[in-house]
Amino acid sequence: MTRKSGESIPLSIKISNYVPYLLLLPTLAYMLFFIGYPLVEGVALAFFDEQGHFTWANVNYLLYDPGSLFWDALKYTILLAAVIIPIQVSVAFGLALLFNAKFPGKNLALYTVILPLTISDVAAGLIWYVMLGQYGFFNKLLMDLGVISHPIIFFGIKNMEFLAIVMTEVWRATAIVFVIIFAGLQMISHEYYEAAEVFGATTWQRFRYIIFPLLLPSLQAALIIRTLFAFQIFGVVWTLAGRDIPVLAGEAYYAQTTLLRPGVAALYALIIAALSVSVGAIYIKFFKAKYLEAGM
Amino acid sequence: MSRAISTLWAITIIVIIIIAIGAGIWWWYASQQGGKQGGGQKVKIVFASTQLNPPEEQAFIKSLLQDFTKETGIEVDFVAISYDQLTTRLQSEEQSGKVTIDLIGDLHGGLDYFASKGWLTDLSNFPSKYGALSGRTFPKVLEDYSKLHGIKAYIPWMTATYVMVVNHKAYQYLPSGLTPDDVKKGTSKWTYDAFLKWAENLKNQTGSPKVGFPDGPHGLFVRFLHGFLYPSFTGYQAKAFNSTDAVKMWQYLKELWKYVVPQSTTYDEMADPLLKEEVWVAWDHTARIKNAIEQKPDQFDVVPVPAGPKGRGFILVIAGLAIPKNAPHPDAAWKLIEFLTRPEIQVKVLQNTGFFPTVKEATGKIPSGPLKVLAQGVAAQQSASDAVVALIPSLGAKGGDFKNIYITAFNKIVLNNEDIKKTLDQLYPQLIDLFKSQGLEVP
Repeated sequence: MTRKSGESIPLSIKISNYVPYLLLLPTLAYMLFFIGYPLVEGVALAFFDEQGHFTWANVNYLLYDPGSLFWDALKYTILLAAVIIPIQVSVAFGLALLFNAKFPGKNLALYTVILPLTISDVAAGLIWYVMLGQYGFFNKLLMDLGVISHPIIFFGIKNMEFLAIVMTEVWRATAIVFVIIFAGLQMISHEYYEAAEVFGATTWQRFRYIIFPLLLPSLQAALIIRTLFAFQIFGVVWTLAGRDIPVLAGEAYYAQTTLLRPGVAALYALIIAALSVSVGAIYIKFFKAKYLEAGM
Repeated sequence: MSRAISTLWAITIIVIIIIAIGAGIWWWYASQQGGKQGGGQKVKIVFASTQLNPPEEQAFIKSLLQDFTKETGIEVDFVAISYDQLTTRLQSEEQSGKVTIDLIGDLHGGLDYFASKGWLTDLSNFPSKYGALSGRTFPKVLEDYSKLHGIKAYIPWMTATYVMVVNHKAYQYLPSGLTPDDVKKGTSKWTYDAFLKWAENLKNQTGSPKVGFPDGPHGLFVRFLHGFLYPSFTGYQAKAFNSTDAVKMWQYLKELWKYVVPQSTTYDEMADPLLKEEVWVAWDHTARIKNAIEQKPDQFDVVPVPAGPKGRGFILVIAGLAIPKNAPHPDAAWKLIEFLTRPEIQVKVLQNTGFFPTVKEATGKIPSGPLKVLAQGVAAQQSASDAVVALIPSLGAKGGDFKNIYITAFNKIVLNNEDIKKTLDQLYPQLIDLFKSQGLEVP
């Protein structure tokens, strides 16, 4: 059907053609205002001085100033992510498989596992700071059990602080990975398992050829969310180690509040954003679920 | 059915809108009425303060100002404001000639800057003009500091400082020749060398270090570096940053740090570690150890800091009250100054905020108890004959960079074991530039 001019189209159809765009408009406006505008402002803060001239001053400060901890912060942020995320994913995976089976007290156990999710990161940091203190619960327990004779000092010693951060983060944020994987696991239809049983598949084969591939999309979502959070890690580190273990978000905060250098803070924020986007892209590329391509 | 629901919805929404409009009109009307009453008879003055800004302190000062209103009929609008905002506002008001601020409460450094710009009224003839501040004496050091750029720029309002807190248990490990009294009174025997030996004894004889500093991300340890150690060892805060004396100072600190509780790098304030007895001897801002003294006044002493080769360096924080030039109600503002410097009011301020009085008469009016313990320590420190008083330099927005230079030096030299002289030489030009860029003399 061809139409020569717009006049012959009824008005209602004309409008309805634009409905999808109209429906997208609020989201677009939201993104422009809450992501686009701050991004532009961030770039302006980081690369332009107050007079509006382009400047490398903030980049130079970040890279070359003796007071800047940028490289350490980058190192520790990546190191923390590299240590924490694999632990979290494997623990969450194990837990999800465990909870997929039926056992008494399952619901109670489930709530207990998810509980840390409701606690803010700073609060979690403070809880563990008190617990791991020289006279905290942890040391008291070990001393009462006779495992140690002197309290273990966690704070003020970098390696121990690193350990404390890993413990706290695993305790606090494994739940979110677990929830996503557990949901994915429950969505796998029982027909697949039944079919596998009919063909005599072993437990390992069932895991390898049914659970794992069908769980990939959930795993991808969990990994993306966890990694993005990992690059923003701040509250736990700040409460447990201060700037002993510098991280990117912590340095951004320090530059903004103590150094009063908003340009440097903006630069840190942009670096965190760039890191997150690139890692997100890598995940999406490599974790593309195969069955989706196969024709669903 | 669905039509019924949508009608119900429509009615609900209309009712909500009507209520909202009604409330808006009522609020507007009420605020108009209030405005008329306030504008008519009572004088209302604006008190812009960079001090007492935390919510609890604001609540306290506002209730205190109500007493003032009851007494004088002058209403006070307390405006909690940051230093940067105050500077901008005062500058624009002074330049346009439309001054709305009647009274400024700010730190010495900020007032110094305002006075240098000619934005403050000379208060030297106020006592004869509007009534003397009778029954109170300001210590000489405060009188001297409040005269700036040829005028009496402000009336000292509150002071704060940093002190050491000693758990009584620590006294039995004092090095030979040093008595608890030496420490409490700050005699010439109470030196940094003696402190080092004490710290060493504490660690070796109790099995773990017992000296602590607030070197956490929000801790004030940096003040100990530039305002206590540097003046005590070099005589200056920044001028001799990389001198031979400074190198000796850093060597000393490296040695001392062996006997310091390692968790110090996570302490933001020392009250908690003192109460938990992780730390027996601590240094911190008075406000940040107040809690420990209040909970266990019989357990702790507040003592002056030790002395170094160049004297007993310490920071004195002075907050003052100043009246902007061309302020609308100087007489009412002076009445408020008179109110706020009364000894009994100053004791109230101490009790509620931890800021110390600026008038000598107030100290006698402090009831015995934890605050007396604190005030005695502060008084002993301020009256030390070898005092080297340091004021926090007013670098405005560059204050963060200033702090970061000392923190960086500490992290590199003490925590990362880097070369002292090289590190100091590397940071020194930056430090000097900071003062030059602000047009300030290097302290």
